[in-house]
Amino acid sequence: MTATLFDGIVQGLQLSLLAVGITLIFGLGGVLNLAHGQFAVIGGVAAKLLLDLGAHPVLAGVGGVVTAGLFGVLVDRSLLLPVYRCRGEDRLLLGLILTLGLSFVIDGYLNYAFSEFSLTFSLPIPSVKIAGIPMRTAGLANSLVAIVVFLVLFAFLRSTLLGKTVRSIIENEVGAELCGIDPARTRMIIVGLAAMMAGLAGITQGLFSSLGTEMGPEFTILGLLVAVVGGVRSINGTLVAGVFLGIVNAFASRYIGAYVAYIILLSVAMATILARPGGLLARST
Amino acid sequence: MIVRVDAVHVAYGSASVLHDVSLEASTGEAVAVIGPNGAGKTTLLRAMIGMIQPTRGRISYDGKDCNGLRAFEIARLGMVYVPAEKELFPGMTVFENLELGSYRNVRNTSERLSYVFDLFPRLEERRQQLAGTLSGGEQQMVAIGRALMGCPKVLLLDEPSTGLAPKVVEELYRQLAKLKTTGLTLIVTEQQVQLVLSLTDRAYVLEQGLIRLSGKSADVLRNPGIKAAYLGVA
Repeated sequence: MTATLFDGIVQGLQLSLLAVGITLIFGLGGVLNLAHGQFAVIGGVAAKLLLDLGAHPVLAGVGGVVTAGLFGVLVDRSLLLPVYRCRGEDRLLLGLILTLGLSFVIDGYLNYAFSEFSLTFSLPIPSVKIAGIPMRTAGLANSLVAIVVFLVLFAFLRSTLLGKTVRSIIENEVGAELCGIDPARTRMIIVGLAAMMAGLAGITQGLFSSLGTEMGPEFTILGLLVAVVGGVRSINGTLVAGVFLGIVNAFASRYIGAYVAYIILLSVAMATILARPGGLLARST
Repeated sequence: MIVRVDAVHVAYGSASVLHDVSLEASTGEAVAVIGPNGAGKTTLLRAMIGMIQPTRGRISYDGKDCNGLRAFEIARLGMVYVPAEKELFPGMTVFENLELGSYRNVRNTSERLSYVFDLFPRLEERRQQLAGTLSGGEQQMVAIGRALMGCPKVLLLDEPSTGLAPKVVEELYRQLAKLKTTGLTLIVTEQQVQLVLSLTDRAYVLEQGLIRLSGKSADVLRNPGIKAAYLGVA
């Protein structure tokens, strides 16, 4: 029971890490990034290539995260430029189509170029006992990374001026422009950061199980689910939704079965969206 | 002239909203733009700060050509717009809203903050409150305060009295008069014609996208046509 709960929290934090970038890009750019899971896979692939070149695992991880971030910036400055020129519904639709296309291109290329790929990190000590419960160190390490990233992200948004400009654009893009804030520049930084967090999630996936090049679409769907349940503009909501759905998934897999778990996960997500359309943490009005 | 609008045309699709509109303001001057709803007052201000690109005509600020500049670039130059919708950050505190107003000039933040709090003491009491929870009058103070944080030379105010109680409007206009004495250039659109004409030096009357009349505010106020149309006096 406790082990399942722990497992759920670990998976949930992983989901949150994946989804927070979707939330940020949507909040700031009005684009639902359907290639977000592929950003995660790119991070993992880059890390693996560095490992194969003989890099230290930590260095390989950092390299993977940076590669994913640079890729995000590249996408922001090229593919998404015509998207940002549109407003409202047009922007959302064009963004969906272009990022979906991008996800196909990335999937096709990675599956073709790295057909035997699998990224697994093994930690020196496989498990430790905390309060009498055996826990996998991979899960702990994974959660620790996610928690640190979230703490840094919250501190960044709350206390730094750049973080406040990010929040201001999420709150009101017109108001931000009236203050002299350049939305395009801020957006580029955030898409880069979001892609870095996705890349990190791809790499930590290799920590507690293994990452394959075919996992992009699954990551994207899970990330979207978490982002939507969390309210798609709320970063706190994304964190809570990820942990919540992670726990649901862990219990469903443990007690009912892995395949049915997906159906349960989707049903719970749907029920949550119906009950709280504004997201888990939406202020009730 | 710190602001010069020269024969500007604006069209939304095939519907033209402003025809051949020209307007100027010199440093420290307060200028009113009055006219009925839908005359194009808001469109004029939005064109001036780059939220709308004019189809023809020139807009210049402080000797610089503003055509083609984006809204954030014009704000950085020192011509700041306070829209009727206020466009605040509702989920952020009053302090954060103001802080973002001076984000291009962080070194001045604390000095400007005390200036704004001096002008609107109410904001200091509410500095940790979320902007979305403030009253209409307080939100207008935040909007003007946020604009002032960036040390603007020109302030464009769109219908600052809209939705405010008469007493609050009176108080707001007292502060605007105070701002005028500091050498700030003000361009104000307003439904409350009498009020804005007593604040400003000169006025333009905009009707159906055309400047019908312009002159000293006191003269415009005495104009029989204006009296009949806007003040309900025959």
